[in-house]
Amino acid sequence: MTNGYRASAGIMLAPAVTLIGVFILLPMLLTVWLSFNDWSTQTPFAEARFVGLANFQDIFGSTSVGRDFKGALVNTAIYTALSVAIILPLSVLFGLLVHQRDVGGGTLLRTVLFSTYMVPMIAVALVWSKLYSPSEGPFNQMLGLVGVSPQPWLSSPRSALISIVLLNVWQQVGYFTVLAIAGLTQIPGSLYEAATLDGANRTEQFRFITLPLLRRTLLFSAVIAIINAVQVFEPVALITQGGPVGSTNVLTYHIRRVGIERAQGGLGSAMAVMLMLSLIVVVCALFAFMNRKDDE
Amino acid sequence: MSVAAGSSSTLPRRRPSGRKALLATLMLLVAVASAFPLLWMVLSSLKTTAESMQVPPVWIPRTPTFDAYEKVAGVVNVGRSMWNSLVIATITTAGILVTSMMAGYAFAKYSFPGRTLLFSALLATMFLPPIVTLIPLYRMVGSIGLNASLAGIIVPNLANAFGIFLMRQFIAGVPDDLIDAARMDGASELLILFKIVAPTVAPAIAALALFAFVYHWNSYLWPLTVLQGNADSYPIVISLSRLLSYNRGAMNTGLVMAGATLAVLPPLILFVFLQRFFVDSIVSSAVKG
Repeated sequence: MTNGYRASAGIMLAPAVTLIGVFILLPMLLTVWLSFNDWSTQTPFAEARFVGLANFQDIFGSTSVGRDFKGALVNTAIYTALSVAIILPLSVLFGLLVHQRDVGGGTLLRTVLFSTYMVPMIAVALVWSKLYSPSEGPFNQMLGLVGVSPQPWLSSPRSALISIVLLNVWQQVGYFTVLAIAGLTQIPGSLYEAATLDGANRTEQFRFITLPLLRRTLLFSAVIAIINAVQVFEPVALITQGGPVGSTNVLTYHIRRVGIERAQGGLGSAMAVMLMLSLIVVVCALFAFMNRKDDE
Repeated sequence: MSVAAGSSSTLPRRRPSGRKALLATLMLLVAVASAFPLLWMVLSSLKTTAESMQVPPVWIPRTPTFDAYEKVAGVVNVGRSMWNSLVIATITTAGILVTSMMAGYAFAKYSFPGRTLLFSALLATMFLPPIVTLIPLYRMVGSIGLNASLAGIIVPNLANAFGIFLMRQFIAGVPDDLIDAARMDGASELLILFKIVAPTVAPAIAALALFAFVYHWNSYLWPLTVLQGNADSYPIVISLSRLLSYNRGAMNTGLVMAGATLAVLPPLILFVFLQRFFVDSIVSSAVKG
């Protein structure tokens, strides 16, 4: 650590702090302020008119504005919960497959899994919209081979959201697998040796050594997976436009439609504030849950 | 890795061949499932229109053809869009590298009042979904006259918290003696950063560069919002999104797949050659964080 370089510190920090301040922190504060205002996105900020909590009453009210927002909030919650619930266990399973040394090819598997994370979401959406195609798509054909009837996938309100979850899982699971491998590498091999000497079998070793020592990694993965999940946009914008019958209307898509396309900046900002608050609550709850477990 | 390899080789385990076979099968299954969509994409892009529309679907095109790629070029200005993507991703990445190295150096090697608080405030923005700032940012960029331009896409993204965090982690490991020696020789702080510190953290810089490049090559929401239909400035991912609306039926499957293949290639090629840096930096961001 070097003291006495305050002027240099100022110069070094100025570009990043100015940019992040102006283009992230300032708009974040503006979003909070706008949520208490009636404001059209087409007009300057000075045109905003203070309306107190009216926007929040609207988005939680019984009109179509409220119904659409509450629907989007629920869809996003389901989408996020499903994504995390599928991605985390798979990432540990795949991580173990890559990490084990009994069968070769682990590194190659990691490369294949992680490569999907490089694919632009827009290409993922394009490709999967065709994979899901009920008649000419390969998924239904493969299901047919094992005797399962054709699925409607993206075209039914019952299966559209989970279909988008699946394409998201496919794209992201490699990233979380790499995180899981990082966690597995941190576990000292001596623990397994001791456990083997004590007669613990593989299942017991996984339950009492691997899983507990992966907790920190899994917490980090869960937080990142949640933040990624609420950002889902491309497949919805490109393929479903929120449908059928609102079943894939998720918050990022809905907020943009209200705040940018319909130019209802105040309403959209109130929705964005609710998204931010929900995220803070969920992430804090996760950390609290983990800390309580640590105390046990 | 060495720890893990050592531990499993010293363990006196019985390894029934059934378990090995099961592991190998599982690994193969996962790899095939993971690779399948991209494989299908490339195969479909080489099919004739008739083959794309066949039910049940054709897996391997009998007479591979590049017709679909030609058709993409007829619907979308591929060259222009690729160039726009290249400009956006390159300039944004360069900006992120400079701002992240400077700020990372300051956080790692200077002590100043409010350092922890400022770092935490910046770090918190890493967890902020972009949609939360989208509406006012759209207005701000419009009011300074940058909307509908490449500059409007680039300027707000020239610095980010992840880059600062990554650079701070790695620069903190550079010995102070090295920096002090350069100071004795009268080198300026910027010179020290770019001439002496930067080479010692080159792998981290490479990782950040690749991350930033791929992220901004793939980025969709912000360019779509800023450009508002200015097709001349479309990056490739936005141009491609128009392929689907161009014709929704099975007839355009080849077209869509050819377009997707074109968009996937640049980030995937970068990845194949430089995946070591990607993986290392993810691991360090998770483990050290």
